[in-house]
Amino acid sequence: MKKTIQIPLGSQHISLLEPIRFKFECENERIIGVDADVGFVHRGVELACTRSFEFKQVGYVVARVCGLCAITHSLSYTLAVEKLLGYVANDRIKYLRMLMVELDRIHSHMLCLAHTAENAGFEALFMQIMGDRELVMEVQEAISGNRVQFDYISIGGVNRDLTSDLCDLIRKNLTILSEKMEILTGLFDNNWSLSLKYKGVGVLSLEDAYTYNALGPLARASGLATDVRAETSDFPYEALGYTMILESTGDIHARNFVRLREIVNSITMCQNIVDNLPIGEIQEKVKGKPKGEDIIRIEAPRGELFYLVRGNGTNMLERVRIKTPTFSGIPAMMEVFKGSQYADAPAILASFDPCMSCTAK
Amino acid sequence: MTKIETTLPTLLSDIEAFYKPKEWHFLSVNGIDLGEGKIELQWIFSKYGVKDEVVIYYALSDYETPIPSVLALIPSSIMGEREIVDMFGLTVEGAQKGLYLDEDSLQHPLRGEE
Repeated sequence: MKKTIQIPLGSQHISLLEPIRFKFECENERIIGVDADVGFVHRGVELACTRSFEFKQVGYVVARVCGLCAITHSLSYTLAVEKLLGYVANDRIKYLRMLMVELDRIHSHMLCLAHTAENAGFEALFMQIMGDRELVMEVQEAISGNRVQFDYISIGGVNRDLTSDLCDLIRKNLTILSEKMEILTGLFDNNWSLSLKYKGVGVLSLEDAYTYNALGPLARASGLATDVRAETSDFPYEALGYTMILESTGDIHARNFVRLREIVNSITMCQNIVDNLPIGEIQEKVKGKPKGEDIIRIEAPRGELFYLVRGNGTNMLERVRIKTPTFSGIPAMMEVFKGSQYADAPAILASFDPCMSCTAK
Repeated sequence: MTKIETTLPTLLSDIEAFYKPKEWHFLSVNGIDLGEGKIELQWIFSKYGVKDEVVIYYALSDYETPIPSVLALIPSSIMGEREIVDMFGLTVEGAQKGLYLDEDSLQHPLRGEE
């Protein structure tokens, strides 16, 4: 029997971006087992949603689950409550909500790409991507008033409209970003040192993706055709140019490419939204108190975000269940580590784009 | 959304007959406190490539009855099972406490006020 050693990584470590603690069991340099502790930033959000806040306030509470995909959290909750209240938003509201969600996806994917570059020791590329990401951050701030935790979506609509100046800013910044994405894609595809670090490393097979219910870019990089945008009819994604992005090799390189190509697709969708924005009110009166139970699924940057809301006809809800993509993806992630080299663990982890704030909620 | 009632003794056979990994995506395990020491447990699935098809298996239970684990059928259920152990103070076969809560934390916070 070979000798194995246990190596802890985290919860605070220079190569970790999030508070998570791994316990790797290694045989020489190879990881043969892994255990993860994910609960360092548990804040009791689900409890607060039913005991401390009324249903009209909860949309702003769940936006605090995650700074990066705050808009997706508040949208999911709001849609679930609107379903219970029998309200369907007009097309302008739907388009504005979709715009913010796709902008969120772009900047979140760019952050992940920046960190994977950093983990390959390519700090100049990290700086370049973070600089380019500011184009999207500027647009999000101009639309919502905030760079993170936007509080843009409310029950019955959105809190700010798009002016013609804002539309011009969106068109200008996204056009510049499109050009920059071509350069970035070329770099990720052709740079020799990035290929060494990414190709064939951290592979999740299609079979394991099914077995462990992988989701989001992690699943699509392994060829598993799943995307909530294609599996729900709450928004007209296909009409605005949505395409499911799939790769097949399941390694870090494939995950990077799913994100790169999804950014390009989301830019196209955002441009189509701005060019075809329907006329209508941005805020409509919604009466009543939620009664019954309903669910909502939204494709967040990291995969499927699921909300279940149950109300009893009062201002206080009975249950708000939040299932975040990283939470569901952890079993698949653990499987990827097994058999990998310990030295690759930080790069593999960064390629999952984990969000512990979402996971622990 | 389709809700199908099951019972704890028949849960594993019902899920085994229903769940095909390449057809259904397992979303989550969920619990909803019903008051008076009762809880509704849910196992939620969505269908790959089909719009708006979500199936929820649900069973009613109390807090004392051990809950069977579906881990052998659905390896990714481990997170959800550990979560309901912490949040509702349930006993799920093979699922450890401590995913979110420490020994000195508020225990089973989502269980109804007693």
